[in-house]
Amino acid sequence: MAKGPDDSARTTRAQDDWQALSQQYWNAWSDATRKAFGGTPAEAVTDKTPWHEGLEQWSRMFDAAKAQDSQSEIVERLLAGARSYFALLQSLAEKGGAGKVDPQAWSDAVRDSFNFPGADAALFDNPLARALRELAGKGAKGFEQMMETVQPAMREARALLDLPAFGYAREHQEHYQRMAQAWLDYQHETNRYNALIARASRRAFEVFEDKLAERTEPGRQIDSVRGLYDLWVDAAEDAYAEVALSDEFREVYGALVNAQMRVRQNVQREVERVATDLGMPTRTEIDSMGKRLHNLHRDAKNQAEALPALIAEVAALRAEVERLKAGSQPAAKATTRAAKKSAPRTSRKPTGKE
Amino acid sequence: MEPIRIDPKRAYDEALRAQQKIAASMRVLRDVEDVDYGATDKEAIYREDKVVVYRYKGKNKPTAKAPILICYALVNRPYMVDLQDDRSLVRNLLALGEDVYIIDWGYPDGADRWLTLDDYINGYIRRCVDAVAKHAGVRKINLLGICQGGAFSLCFASLHQDRLQNLITMVTPVDFHTRDNMLSHWTRDMDVDLFVDTLGNVPADLMNWCYLTLKPVRLNQQKYVAMLDILDDKVELENFLRMEKWIFDSPDQAGEAFRQFIKDFYQGNKLVRGGLEIGGKPVSLKNITIPVLNIFAEQDHLVPPSASRPLGEHIGTKDYTQIAFKGGHIGIYVSGRAQREVPPAIHEWLAKRTT
Repeated sequence: MAKGPDDSARTTRAQDDWQALSQQYWNAWSDATRKAFGGTPAEAVTDKTPWHEGLEQWSRMFDAAKAQDSQSEIVERLLAGARSYFALLQSLAEKGGAGKVDPQAWSDAVRDSFNFPGADAALFDNPLARALRELAGKGAKGFEQMMETVQPAMREARALLDLPAFGYAREHQEHYQRMAQAWLDYQHETNRYNALIARASRRAFEVFEDKLAERTEPGRQIDSVRGLYDLWVDAAEDAYAEVALSDEFREVYGALVNAQMRVRQNVQREVERVATDLGMPTRTEIDSMGKRLHNLHRDAKNQAEALPALIAEVAALRAEVERLKAGSQPAAKATTRAAKKSAPRTSRKPTGKE
Repeated sequence: MEPIRIDPKRAYDEALRAQQKIAASMRVLRDVEDVDYGATDKEAIYREDKVVVYRYKGKNKPTAKAPILICYALVNRPYMVDLQDDRSLVRNLLALGEDVYIIDWGYPDGADRWLTLDDYINGYIRRCVDAVAKHAGVRKINLLGICQGGAFSLCFASLHQDRLQNLITMVTPVDFHTRDNMLSHWTRDMDVDLFVDTLGNVPADLMNWCYLTLKPVRLNQQKYVAMLDILDDKVELENFLRMEKWIFDSPDQAGEAFRQFIKDFYQGNKLVRGGLEIGGKPVSLKNITIPVLNIFAEQDHLVPPSASRPLGEHIGTKDYTQIAFKGGHIGIYVSGRAQREVPPAIHEWLAKRTT
């Protein structure tokens, strides 16, 4: 349908309003920056700058202020979470300013907000993958970092993958081939896992639209961006749970974990080989000693626990023996005397030849 | 009717408010000192390797006839039960006259790589129980197991019931194979031998990452967006930081114990299906005939109620009580409702059964 003059005028007015609001937003941001950090922002902003960019600048300024490590981590998490929320705020403020919007358009606005400028294009339309990527902690990043380190060796190993192994160094070659194969398997399983996360993200928007449809009832309308954000989170978690509890996810998750472990194990073997060449102790050796030590420690504990009972038992037996000795002493002497009497006398001396 | 009525001016106001809160937090966070935890004084009464048993010191002498020993999970630090003055299960139990002890498992390292469930249950827990009984001058004590510590306590009660008067389990998984147990679902196709042989002890960061992926958007984004509301409130912010500290202050897991726990509990579901052995001794819930109180959380995403509730069907005791608490896995210790409801429920239940 062609736009009439009224529509055009409304759109222009909305754009002007939006520009004015955006300008006010950045003016307020500059004031807040001065108050929080006692200085002017390092980087210039305009009314066209995405709102979440202000958070990036604050993150850099907070780091520069050398806060405690634990709190730098909190700020990192806070700003990572808030980034999506601010992008949503901006997207919806802009969308809301454009007049009447249907649920599909709201859903698109939410989707767009996750694809904010500067975001990783590989994660476009895939907010669940983004949420997983943003998980903090070495547990999530350690393996990736390790793989970056061994990437050159992996490239070399991959080139050897199809070559037949023979001769003196064949065992090494076979090891590199296994390592390369493990890496390829891991890539394959990662792709399967990512496909399921992408499916969950797509499903999240469907669930979101269903949830929006429920809000058309009087009294249930959403009138704040936070309300809409919370509804989106509910939808995303519902969709994720649907996928994560499926048999397919269980199989893929197990395969991914197992594939990653095989890569780690191959890398460990390689590190051990180098350590052995350099005359350094290996993890296998340390584990072996640890196991032996642990068993000794356990035995010692068990023996120490059993000891008081044994001591008490020995003491009781000793006491009983003493009692028996005391009670049977005369009889014992008599027996000895009787034995002496009954024994045949002999004067024969040992000859030493028996 | 349109589902959404968001005025652009209102969205702008929300953005401005959030922006101001974040700016204020940049100042507050630099001023907030490192948060501490543990509200109640305590003394160590027993030590073995990295394990320490503490006795909490209440303001008044305990009036309860038998002490409570809290057996926490290995996967988190036990100070969750005594996080701060106004969020402390321990403090509330002490105020009601209970005598409270707790096992602190410490932080396992390479030396603990070969610790088995036998070492934990027939070794550490048994000796801790004996130490508490000796310290309190009683023959039998009350055991309160939490989460994984609850599963351990069930095994312990099955094997050493003669040392216990009563057993309380909180947010304890019993049936690991219910449909909504995401954590269990994910472990089923894992090759746990390969996993432990490769990693040795299981790194805490890896465990935390796994927990966060149970609800990735809620736990990694929404929680921090909600944090915007309290950023300019120093006390609330400190509460938040204290909780964050607890969440990410996790010990590594001893490799062998982890292997057995995953195989026998998560994969084999042997607590319910049978066939479980700890240190070569058969474990059966039917052996437990002492009184049992089972408390679980209705909104628990780590140990769903469906995993805790079946205890009543499988346990041997005729004196079984179950309380469903409105809240989550952590809320059961720290929420305002928990402070009001959980300690009195435990105290009243014990008072009727402790001799």
